[in-house]
Amino acid sequence: MYMLRIMSTLAWRNLWRNHRRTIIMISAITIGVWAMIFMTALMRGMVNEMVRDGIRALPGHVQIHGRGFLDDPGINNLLPMKDEDVTASFDAAGFDAWAGRIRVPAVVTSERDSRGITLYGIDPVRERDITFVAGDIVEGRFLEDADDSGVVIGRKLADNLETELGKRIVIMSQDPDNEIADRGFRIVGIFEARLEAYETSMLFAGKSAIQKMLNVPDRINEVVVLGDDYRNVDPVVRKVTDLVGPGVEVLPWYEVDSYLGTMMTVMDGFVLVWMIVVFLALSFGLVNTLVMAVFERVREIGLMMALGMRPTSILLQIVIESLLLLLLGLLIGNVLAGATVYWLRDGIDISVVAAGMEMFGASSLLYPQLTAHDVVLANVVVLILGSIASLSPAWRASRYDPIEAITKV
Amino acid sequence: MAKQSAILSVVISLLAHPLAASAQQPDAAEIVRGAIDHWRGTSSYSEMTMIIHRPDWQRTMSMRGWTEGDKRTLVRVTEPQKDRGNGTLMIDNTMWTYSPKVNRVIKIPSSMMSQSWMGSDFSNKDISRSDDIVDQYEHNLIGTTEAGGHVTYEIQSVPHEDAAVVWGKEVLTVRDDYVLIGHEFYDQDGMLVKKLTSLEIGEMGGRSVAIRQRMGKVDEPDEWTEVRIDAIEYGVELNDNVFTQSNLRNPRN
Repeated sequence: MYMLRIMSTLAWRNLWRNHRRTIIMISAITIGVWAMIFMTALMRGMVNEMVRDGIRALPGHVQIHGRGFLDDPGINNLLPMKDEDVTASFDAAGFDAWAGRIRVPAVVTSERDSRGITLYGIDPVRERDITFVAGDIVEGRFLEDADDSGVVIGRKLADNLETELGKRIVIMSQDPDNEIADRGFRIVGIFEARLEAYETSMLFAGKSAIQKMLNVPDRINEVVVLGDDYRNVDPVVRKVTDLVGPGVEVLPWYEVDSYLGTMMTVMDGFVLVWMIVVFLALSFGLVNTLVMAVFERVREIGLMMALGMRPTSILLQIVIESLLLLLLGLLIGNVLAGATVYWLRDGIDISVVAAGMEMFGASSLLYPQLTAHDVVLANVVVLILGSIASLSPAWRASRYDPIEAITKV
Repeated sequence: MAKQSAILSVVISLLAHPLAASAQQPDAAEIVRGAIDHWRGTSSYSEMTMIIHRPDWQRTMSMRGWTEGDKRTLVRVTEPQKDRGNGTLMIDNTMWTYSPKVNRVIKIPSSMMSQSWMGSDFSNKDISRSDDIVDQYEHNLIGTTEAGGHVTYEIQSVPHEDAAVVWGKEVLTVRDDYVLIGHEFYDQDGMLVKKLTSLEIGEMGGRSVAIRQRMGKVDEPDEWTEVRIDAIEYGVELNDNVFTQSNLRNPRN
């Protein structure tokens, strides 16, 4: 212990013998650590937004379907239980928010054009807490209740169909017997979404009206449940599974929208790779600095050995020196990264590249997100890999032959 | 209504029963209902020619059609050779097509109902429906003209709120002997989008019939489809198996 204190004192003093070099090295480590933490926070923020948007764009946190629905999302894979039974049991279970839907592929026709879309028969009251649409109405109104006989369509779809608010459109789909089911609806609301794809592919109508049109009274084919945190949906999945029993499929959002799910997993791997890459660049500087420090002090090290210092202590001294260097850099780097994230807490406007970002589902305002996990990971990576990197010069220093070292010019 | 007019054009079988002369101001819905009952109220066999005209090409198809009531229709192409045997069968509002090249009977799904029928200006939906015009619309008589010994009624039909009709209104022009003179489709801003016009009316199969009818979009005057009746026979005895998928595939008549 006494030995360790002497070594630490020696290392600390050695560090400041060439303070310019030390300060440069600390700056390098600081910038590296800052880059690791801040960039990770940025990417996390981006993915976070994507996932949150993605979830708000309908998947919810947990979905329930009849078996086979995901392969053939249509009228032929209804949930085995009735709409009202679902309502009773889900209301009793006390979820944050949930909604039943009937969702079928359909064709919408105006006087001048027709388009294929996904028709959502929704319960607007429940859906308000779950989907984006209720809040993104730019003209007209959102649906009022499940019996509402109007529809809400996307701005882009309205443009494609050359129709507008207040006009009638015809929706055609198929009932369970494959007979054509169609009906006219009046457009009561137009929504704008951040992603154009949502605007062109979704059409919302009252659930009861759609059930009637499709000739499936009191049946639905999708239930969406919202928990309190998208990163922790397993408890909700378990609760729902217990509630609905076998015969239906209960899926968390990352399986419903596997693109989003994969995104999260890829992100975790990417963060680690990013940190290691930054560290590798950093480690060359670190090793070089230590090699220089050792090289300058060959005679001194020889003298210490000649006076009876053990090679282990020499090794320890160099490693401690590098650790002190790293710790200083980490400290400043962490503080700096934290400060930057705090400074940018209102989001970074990246609308200049919004079109490109939209392509992969991100929005144009970026909120950096600092997670404890990433900060710890960055620090651990730097400390552990830094110590390992410093072992090589330290090992060389401890292997000197005292006589040769002393006589070296 | 589009449906109806189309049927009209394809199968033209208007009865030549003049409206009761006593009715001073006949009810618009009754004229429409009467017209449909009379042109589809009986069975018929007809031979037709369909001309599809486009700015840079035109093609002509000959076909034969059978109808029974307003629910059952079978149309089969006879010329040109490469399209021979292509057929369409309609029962109620359901439609099947058959093409000898793929040797399959295909039920037209809802997603294809608004697509063109055999490349013409009629959509599948135009062709497959018939009697919706009566109860899915609000009919109003908006004009009466007299010319050449006939009274012509102009009827404005506005679809009901939940009717599966995209048009804002349709205007039918019907002669007092139930021959459809014209059928106009207006969008919801009141702009004329497309119209069906009877170009030639004459006696055939013992009735007044619109012999030549043309359907075209107002925006593109160079694109139209014309249906010409070459021969028609009313009140024919039709076997039950005429309107079956197996007959669509393997013609026995």
